[in-house]
Amino acid sequence: MSQFDLDKAMNKLKSRGFDEYATELSSSRTEQVRFSRNNKDLYNIWDQSTLVIFASRGKRTVTTSVKDPDRLDSSIELLWGLAGKIPENPSFEGINPETQEGYRVEKLAGIDYDLHDLSQEVVNSSLEAGAERAAGVLYNRTNTIEVRTKYNQCTFTTGGLEVVIRSFKGNNTGQEGRHFGLKEKVDSKKIREIGHQSAEALSLAPGRVDFNPGKYDVLMSPYVIGNLMSYSSSFLSYYSVETGLSCFSESLNKGVSCDSFTLVDDPVDSTGVGYRACDDEATKTGPNVLIENGVLKNYMHSFSTSAHAGTKTTGNAGIISPGAWQLKVLPGAESAPKMISELDEGLLINNCWYTRYQDYRNAIFSTVPRDGVFYVKNGEIQGSVTGIRISDSIPNVLSGITGISRETKNVKWWEEIAASNMPYVLSEKIGITKSF
Amino acid sequence: MEGDLIHKILDYASSRSKFAEARYMDLNVNQVGFRNGEFQGLNFDSERGYAVRVVNRSISMAYSDSNDWTRVKESIDRAIEKSNFDGKNRIYEGDAIKDSWKVRAKKKLEDYSIEDRVTIVRENDSAMGSSGASVRVNSMVDKRINQFYVNSTGSEISGEISRLFYFYLVGVAESGEFEQSTEQFGSSSGFEFIEKLDLQNRIEQDLTDLHQSAEAPRITPGKFDIIVGPEISGIVAHESCGHPTEYDRIIGREGAQAGESFLTGKEFPLKIGSPVVNVVDNPSLGGSFGFYKYDDEGIPSRKRYLYKGGETNEFILNRESAAQLGTASNAGGRSSSWNLEPLARMSTTYIEPGDYKFDDLFDGVRRGVYIKSFTEWNIDDIRFNEKYVGKEAYLITDGDISGRVRRPTIETNTIKFYSSIDAVGNDLEFSAGMCGKGDPEQGVDVWMGGPHMRLRGVYLQ
Repeated sequence: MSQFDLDKAMNKLKSRGFDEYATELSSSRTEQVRFSRNNKDLYNIWDQSTLVIFASRGKRTVTTSVKDPDRLDSSIELLWGLAGKIPENPSFEGINPETQEGYRVEKLAGIDYDLHDLSQEVVNSSLEAGAERAAGVLYNRTNTIEVRTKYNQCTFTTGGLEVVIRSFKGNNTGQEGRHFGLKEKVDSKKIREIGHQSAEALSLAPGRVDFNPGKYDVLMSPYVIGNLMSYSSSFLSYYSVETGLSCFSESLNKGVSCDSFTLVDDPVDSTGVGYRACDDEATKTGPNVLIENGVLKNYMHSFSTSAHAGTKTTGNAGIISPGAWQLKVLPGAESAPKMISELDEGLLINNCWYTRYQDYRNAIFSTVPRDGVFYVKNGEIQGSVTGIRISDSIPNVLSGITGISRETKNVKWWEEIAASNMPYVLSEKIGITKSF
Repeated sequence: MEGDLIHKILDYASSRSKFAEARYMDLNVNQVGFRNGEFQGLNFDSERGYAVRVVNRSISMAYSDSNDWTRVKESIDRAIEKSNFDGKNRIYEGDAIKDSWKVRAKKKLEDYSIEDRVTIVRENDSAMGSSGASVRVNSMVDKRINQFYVNSTGSEISGEISRLFYFYLVGVAESGEFEQSTEQFGSSSGFEFIEKLDLQNRIEQDLTDLHQSAEAPRITPGKFDIIVGPEISGIVAHESCGHPTEYDRIIGREGAQAGESFLTGKEFPLKIGSPVVNVVDNPSLGGSFGFYKYDDEGIPSRKRYLYKGGETNEFILNRESAAQLGTASNAGGRSSSWNLEPLARMSTTYIEPGDYKFDDLFDGVRRGVYIKSFTEWNIDDIRFNEKYVGKEAYLITDGDISGRVRRPTIETNTIKFYSSIDAVGNDLEFSAGMCGKGDPEQGVDVWMGGPHMRLRGVYLQ
């Protein structure tokens, strides 16, 4: 357990004269196994505690992280001195003073997994399903977070198991990246299923097909829509709206997608590793409906940004810059196999990465498909496609949605997909470019 | 905690493993930012902790920020236990080295006040406002790193590093159109680097370009001769030479993250492109953002030719990948923090200058495009299929610049790009970046650069 004395930290911040302050102590134990070419590369073990302090003198805001309990007093003294020397931060409107009741704190504790055995199971199931080699990573995290402000305090435990496996056969690849919160232990049957699924894309197509760039209907897997939502969720932060870098700045209460598209930030779902009972200023979290039945209903707010917008905080602090915790696109009525069988002409894309924007304000981007990219005609997969990009805009992708599957997955992968729960999504007339 | 436990950690770990190393890292980071004329607060972080690596039947690492020996020992014991399971376990051990080194800084970071830092960023924000920017984001980060590395072969190396990083994003709205520019500058030095940058003039010029680009016409897609600026030479060197020649990628170590390499499974040397192209990675370049005398595995740094005469030449190696190749590490082992493993990483990666003067590159270009800088870019996971969208770009007609064009796009592959180069300029410029790799992802400070270059017959969209 952490050696920090939070009572002492809070008393010191108060007695030193800070007007507002919030502390967040994170004490975590993480283990990880990395593997490639079917064999273990490295076993990592982390034991860490960090105290993050946010404090203000009037509107002069300072943030620091403290690793050493013996340096707590001197760090707070340093904060005080520096806060007297900097300009005011007009973005800061104070820390949420409203007394919080009903935190959704679940009784969760770390789960013991044998990552070495699980890594062998997931590799073996990939190989049994046809892969020639597999690479991946497993994490097991337990993180106890204690947030305190002048007004509120909340302690919760989060974390869980993450499994990423990529299967290779010749030039073909398939990948799965899943996350499981601390709510229940994952059994080895599930792990084998993930390994097996990662290899499914390897045998879906008879071979490569030539492909012309243009506008196509695209069936995006949970990983693709997860990637696009991860890379575009900041546009739904009111901080981005204020900055002038959001494609949704004029869209509140307007239609941005089809009737069946609902996007929620849901940090209180403890089946995922993104579970969080409060935000950085101890505001209780809860499902925040961002887009409901295609209509933009809310931005993500901290107390400060909500004051600017004349609304209530949504529990998404970042005190200065709010952000998403655990996104969900709610399931639709379709089945993914049926969506493929009803596709006249288009693409099925299983994963993508390296999403980059040339224009944040209009959210014009491209992303590189991988791990199973298939040309579909008359409901049948004709072959795999390489060397292409989705090159379009987020507003176009959302407004083009015509189908959402009822199947969803808890997806998370590296820095490309934040912990989220996503279905298959069909979007029409998406720009596809290719290399020449 | 000031690293007092490091010898105790090494003694304990090495008595229970075939090879052991310990690293203590103390990072102090300051960050100030402005957004649209408003100060966004001060962040300063103080991070410190130990990393321990043990090699037995496999390799394990433990990371602890505790100064309680009992707790640190518990983590090491767990790592030793896990290293006795089967797995890959080859590591290049090398010779014992005892040394200390530091980055030279004329205007030391610790001598600059917070007010000095705020003034620098505020003035640049103001320059953006005066030049008609509708979006202004400025951020400056400075960091001091003290590191102590020891291993069971007897190495003991201490290093003191100071680095500066400046980032800005600026956007203009012009006639209903939006254009943006992000620029990054970095150096291993003191504040003299920021003073020499003349950032306000750069920003004003950037904004003039953005206003004009927003109103410029698009090109009609087709084949053009193109001249690319140093910024594009740099990103190409980084993305389609540096990354694919990281040997850990070639052997699949990053397979489930950033991917493998188009060089995986090939025989070497492999022809990549034009013989006029040499690509270098050089961590020993003084002042560069990725400068180090010793890498984070205690190996002395040196210049490396990755592509030479248009062919593969040398790979980037850390201790682990060097052992897989059966050779010595060439000091590519970098870790961005105390709690992250060292991986095979770039430092300053650049296309070596050639003989052509800038004006001479335009000779014989009847129908072309000069793409000076880029905005959006990306590349596939084997580092073959890549895209660069031009930011500042001009048409070339009969050897002369004949007007701006908006966002011309190169979408090609590595072999085609390098094979199209027929002339390499004699200039050389660098830009800074944060290179991401590993799981958990770690961003390391790098420079990338090169000269102007001429490419023939490139398809632009």
